[in-house]
Amino acid sequence: MKSILIDIGYSHFLILAAVLFAIGTAGVILRRNILIIMMSIELQLNAANLTILTFARMHGDLSGHSFAMIVIAVAAAEVAVGLAIVVAIFRGRRHVDADRLNLLKH
Amino acid sequence: MSAPSTHGRAAARVLLLLLAALVLWTGAAGLGVTAVGDAHAQPAPGNPGATAKAPPRSATPAGKGNGDRDSKYGPPLKKRGGPIAGLFWGFAGLAVLGSLFVVTRRNLITAVMGMVGTFFAIAALYMMLYASFLAIIQMLVYAGAIMVLFVFVIMILNKPEDEPYGGPGKAGKILAGLAIAYLLFRIASVLLHPAPSGWGTERLDLALQHPAATAQGYVWGSTASVGWNLFNDYLFPFEAVSILLLMAVVGAIAIARPLKDDVVEGPATDDGAAAGASPGGHS
Amino acid sequence: MTTINLLWVVPFLPLLGAFLNLVFGKRLSRGTVHFVAVAAVAASFFTAFYLCVGYWNPAHPLDWQEGPLWRAYLAWKQGGKVGAFGVSEHLWTWIQVGDFRVDMKLALDPLSSVMLLVVTFCSTLIHIYSTGYMEHEPRYAAYFGYLNLFTGAMLILVLGASLPVMFIGWEGVGLCSYLLIGFWFENEAYATAGRKAFVVNRIGDFAFLLGMFLLWWATKGQDGGASLDFAAIRHVGEATPIYYEQTFWFREHLAAIAGVLLFIGACGKSAQIPLYVWLPDAMAGPTPVSALIHAATMVTAGVYMVARLSFLFAASTTAMGVIAVIGACTALAAAFMAFAQTDLKKVLAYSTVSQLGFMFVGVGTGNWTGAIFHLMTHAFFKAGLFLGAGSVMHGMDGSGDIRIMGGLKKYLPITRITFLVYCLAIAGFPLTAGFFSKDSILAGAWAAHGDGWPAFFGKMLWSMLIVAALGTAFYMWRLYFLVFEGEYRGKDQVAHPHESPINMTGPLMVLAVLALVAGFIGVPHVFPHANFMTFFPEWLSHSVKPMWSEDGHASVLPHLSKAVEWGLMGVATLVGLLGIGLAYALYGKGPSPWVERFTASEPGRGLYEASKNKLWVDEVYEAILIRPFRALARGTFEIIDRFMIDTVVVNGSAFVVKTFSRIASWFQNGQVQRYLVGVVVGAAAIFLWTSRAEHPTFKYRWTADGIEFRAEPGHGLRRDARVAWDFDGDGAPDPGETGRQVTKKVGEVGRRVTMFVADPVFGDKQSKPPSWRKVTRNVVVPSEGRDAAAAQGGQP
Repeated sequence: MKSILIDIGYSHFLILAAVLFAIGTAGVILRRNILIIMMSIELQLNAANLTILTFARMHGDLSGHSFAMIVIAVAAAEVAVGLAIVVAIFRGRRHVDADRLNLLKH
Repeated sequence: MSAPSTHGRAAARVLLLLLAALVLWTGAAGLGVTAVGDAHAQPAPGNPGATAKAPPRSATPAGKGNGDRDSKYGPPLKKRGGPIAGLFWGFAGLAVLGSLFVVTRRNLITAVMGMVGTFFAIAALYMMLYASFLAIIQMLVYAGAIMVLFVFVIMILNKPEDEPYGGPGKAGKILAGLAIAYLLFRIASVLLHPAPSGWGTERLDLALQHPAATAQGYVWGSTASVGWNLFNDYLFPFEAVSILLLMAVVGAIAIARPLKDDVVEGPATDDGAAAGASPGGHS
Repeated sequence: MTTINLLWVVPFLPLLGAFLNLVFGKRLSRGTVHFVAVAAVAASFFTAFYLCVGYWNPAHPLDWQEGPLWRAYLAWKQGGKVGAFGVSEHLWTWIQVGDFRVDMKLALDPLSSVMLLVVTFCSTLIHIYSTGYMEHEPRYAAYFGYLNLFTGAMLILVLGASLPVMFIGWEGVGLCSYLLIGFWFENEAYATAGRKAFVVNRIGDFAFLLGMFLLWWATKGQDGGASLDFAAIRHVGEATPIYYEQTFWFREHLAAIAGVLLFIGACGKSAQIPLYVWLPDAMAGPTPVSALIHAATMVTAGVYMVARLSFLFAASTTAMGVIAVIGACTALAAAFMAFAQTDLKKVLAYSTVSQLGFMFVGVGTGNWTGAIFHLMTHAFFKAGLFLGAGSVMHGMDGSGDIRIMGGLKKYLPITRITFLVYCLAIAGFPLTAGFFSKDSILAGAWAAHGDGWPAFFGKMLWSMLIVAALGTAFYMWRLYFLVFEGEYRGKDQVAHPHESPINMTGPLMVLAVLALVAGFIGVPHVFPHANFMTFFPEWLSHSVKPMWSEDGHASVLPHLSKAVEWGLMGVATLVGLLGIGLAYALYGKGPSPWVERFTASEPGRGLYEASKNKLWVDEVYEAILIRPFRALARGTFEIIDRFMIDTVVVNGSAFVVKTFSRIASWFQNGQVQRYLVGVVVGAAAIFLWTSRAEHPTFKYRWTADGIEFRAEPGHGLRRDARVAWDFDGDGAPDPGETGRQVTKKVGEVGRRVTMFVADPVFGDKQSKPPSWRKVTRNVVVPSEGRDAAAAQGGQP
């Protein structure tokens, strides 16, 4: 038990990333406010980034860093467009409640 | 908007945490994370999570020996240290705490602040993994730009959340929660289980060792090394991402642009009486 | 049996007429319709006449051309009277399954020749009559079509050479009876009457089928295979009567069981107890139909069938006794029911039932010829009675209520004369046809004796029949007096009764003549007679089993001395005259007041009510049979149809689909988060699914060296697991057994083998004792495998 606490290995990072991802997923599923959902999505992306960098460190391959950078860039783009959409939705409906955005129903 | 006091309190708390993180980080950097503590390593000041105990005893002397193995990468194993573990647990805790804030807080700004804390912690973790360039980028882009964007939009919406967790569909959400817990359990059982040979097991303990320099002689994980990798091997994705960013910008403007008959709030320009209240901005 | 080619024409012509009238009738004029119908049936009659007797050209009266049957008869006589004679025609093979074979074969022998001529002749007369009676009927063509169809079916019945072919005709006449009784189906009561006839008939048909099956099963053992041909049955009955005496249920003879079953079928068709209830209701049909079907032809099919199977019935006195008793009871009961009827046709219906009872007593006592003789004469005068009743009703504008009739002799003279003749015949007035035929039955009953019958059996039958004859005379003459004599009571209802046209009175007159003279071919021997006068029983005796006489003839009055015969004849005559006299006394000039008083007081009122209500038989059937059946049908409908099929299967499957769709549509409510739930749950499910293969296990098999064990620790992470074995069953890993693949000799392996799996550890954890995961299996050592492996000699 002590060794798990003291000896920090890749597993720790990976598990941490998994936990963060799980929390992010929970946030996406459970929360109703679209902004919180988007923040949770960012959380998921960060967890993925952490995983990538851990494996990059494990194999000594810098491609992981490039990958992670591109992920960050894509996340930024996604957030920009996503928030624009949120603003547009809010303009029309005056709310950003995910449960009430169910036009896909029929 | 809630009373500034609540806001302020939360913000103050978060800022304090950030400060602590910063200090830790500096301390860790100063100590040199590479010097994975030998017996003489002093615990960094203000290290809350340091398990300040004597490093585990081992009969093996430093250097090659019984408990050490040869590794393909880097110098032979040295003794592990408590402070680094403390740093790790501290930042990990901060990350998780921040993310929990995001998921549970009703107040949007609090959630944003939690998110920022998470980002800081993750940046620190990146540092521990020798991804220094990424750590800086993380800070700049995520905490600096993206979160600011979120705050802007929150201010635009200006709408408190009525109920964080929806009533209808609870069954589905509980089911999803169970599924997530199960997935966590599986991944944990996989990761905590020692891997068979050929899987890089022997590198398990090398996570926090200093990696070798790159072929070009740059420090591993530094700006130069990442740049070299990015512009040589992954030039095309880089260019594609820049186009993607362009599209994102254009798209965001196009989507969020107010429609013709929307009235744009603001002082009316005296453009001539006929124009009157100028209809929203056109491109 | 000689083969000819002309038999098929006889039933075919009426069937062709039926087809033409039913299919094209609506487009044809009335003249064409009835021409086709009458021509068809008349041509059939002439063909039948030729077949049976011969061809007589009026231009050359002395040039007599013999018909096939007659020629066969002459040949038979010259050949020494061996076996049976007749003509037959094989049309095609109807059924051939394994060794079960039924041919579509028609045959003509003396018995069927009698029936043939009677059926075709009466049918022709009634067709002619119908052209007058049904003049104003809108469905003219349908009527004649059905009538022709009936005739065709009846001819198939009569000419059939085997029981199945006869059954075709049997069913066909049942169908036509239904169609014709319910001809005016717009009236609910008439339609119900038709249905009742069909259903009751069907009950009888079921018994008929059972009898048929039983007979087939019985004849399976004989050479030539099983056959239901009448010739085969006759052959069996003649040659090996023992064959029918197999023990069967209740230790009875096979012939008895089959005979009783077939007789129940005849009860349905010929309206005996207990299946006669349809006949009075059948009066709902047009009167010519009643005349043809329910007097002359269809109802006699039962008698014909029993006579045809005389060889079968003669083997069982039980069956014959049953027939005789039921016939006698029916004769009595029906006569009783006729006393109080006020509808013209109903009286005649009960009279028919009663006379059929007479016929069945005839066959029941072995008096085949007497029964058929009575069948023939009854056909004439009963058909005449019905046609006369039709004429009266025609004159009374359709009413058949005798209470408003009376004194009609002024208005319907021809009808009255002919009706009088018929009533004389049915009452057995001396020298009428009815006299001779009824007497032959009575005499046969008196003389009847058989194995197992009590000594007084015949006398009992005779006395029942005498009482019935008294009743017959009484109610028939009551009818005559009430209708034709006395004062006309119906001035308010029908102002001008009128006589019928010639196409209706013509047949009446023909039948009246026949009712007078037809008896003279069956005169008993004690009478002074010419040769031709005893022709009928002689002719007929060649088709039936001779019962009483020893010299090869079957005579009408067997074993009786002259005195007894004359005595019996005298008693019968007396009884007839008594009946007539009684009727005259009570009804001669209209219903007498004595009748009123009698029926008002006890016990007259009880008897009157019993007679008027037909002994409440219909009500009893309703209560005992019909209501429970209806309840059962309703219950079945509720349970099986409403509940099981509608609710459970139909609505239930809809409900299942609806529920599943509701479950499935939970997923698609338009909320993206719900979809994400699906993703996450799906991912977890995949993990759950793929983790199943992780469990470690081991396999074992036989080799020549022993049992080979192969460890399968699991996939993925456990590839590098450590393995240890425990073969001796002590629960701890055996030292030294650590390989993935181990081969042990048979004797060294216990029943339970345990494999230990430990996950790989590294570093200083290796010094700790491993935590074993155990997998235990019972090892089964089949001896075959061992021997086979040993025999194969070292080849794993």
